[in-house]
Amino acid sequence: MPHQCVRCSTLYPDGAQEILKGCQCGARLFFYIKKKHIEEGKELINNLSVEDKKQIETDIAEIMTIKEEDLDKPVILDIEAIRVLQPGKYELDLVHLFKKDPLIIKLEEGKYMIDLGQLFAKGKEGMDNEEED
Amino acid sequence: MVKTFFRKFFKKFNPFNKKANLKVGLYGPPNGGKSTLANRICMDWLGEEMSSVSHISHETREIKIKEQVTIKNKKGKELMFSLVDTPGIATKIDYEEFLKKGIKRTEAKKRAKEATKGVIDAIKWLDNMDFVVVVLDATKDPYSQVNITIIGNLQARNIPVLIAANKVDLNKASIDAIKAAFPQYEVVGISAKYGKNVEDFYDNLFKLVN
Repeated sequence: MPHQCVRCSTLYPDGAQEILKGCQCGARLFFYIKKKHIEEGKELINNLSVEDKKQIETDIAEIMTIKEEDLDKPVILDIEAIRVLQPGKYELDLVHLFKKDPLIIKLEEGKYMIDLGQLFAKGKEGMDNEEED
Repeated sequence: MVKTFFRKFFKKFNPFNKKANLKVGLYGPPNGGKSTLANRICMDWLGEEMSSVSHISHETREIKIKEQVTIKNKKGKELMFSLVDTPGIATKIDYEEFLKKGIKRTEAKKRAKEATKGVIDAIKWLDNMDFVVVVLDATKDPYSQVNITIIGNLQARNIPVLIAANKVDLNKASIDAIKAAFPQYEVVGISAKYGKNVEDFYDNLFKLVN
């Protein structure tokens, strides 16, 4: 499944070094897209200005509550679930969201560190602990 | 799966677990009246409001919790729970909709971003809810993708649901349309804004929890 750099639109296959280290252009945010949506993804990114792309990177970090210390690590957004058309325009696939499919795939030390399911579990544990306190 | 079942079971029936831990979530599409209903409940039983309300959609963009809300039924029986007001769930969030309502561009984009995060958070929180009140605008077609997805998921997760068909003070409102769309759940017509039929709503909430 291809990964597309949000800044320069370069496509990388699964397991590419660039996904682990960040794109050649320096960006760390990739869209995770199905092969059949490659053209659509290219068009989506080509229509964005440089400012828009930077804004999307910042916005996604905020929406996904990515910690500041993790900002320099690559982040892959599943655009089948959340499609950012431009800053301020979002399309959400509720079926994906409710299914708890991973929205963000974080890469760390060469490993895929998945997923929203884990985030759910952590969030839930946190809440349960709060209740017990 | 089994672990989750037992955890939920003991949470529900553990005598040492105060009933205050029960969480009642208000879910639904934007501008259905979740925050208005949250305010109605809080004003009726606590004498204070909970959330800010606006005619512009996605006013609630963060989960809000009011703990220890105690309501009484006609027999004097008490029910204590935490009321959770959630951001409206939508499939499309476009800042241009906010521009039309007079919000400035930067603020509109920020609102869209926060609303998107709100949808994700609301869905994340669903597993923490013991009961859910789905608040629907009774003047609108109930067969929307958002309504069907929310209610379908609640059903799949076995979370008890009460549907509040809100805005019945408006001529266009049709409680029957909502009843026909979701016959598996109790539907109560209310006007959260004017307090119409809220007694019936509270009765149904008691039935749902007990």
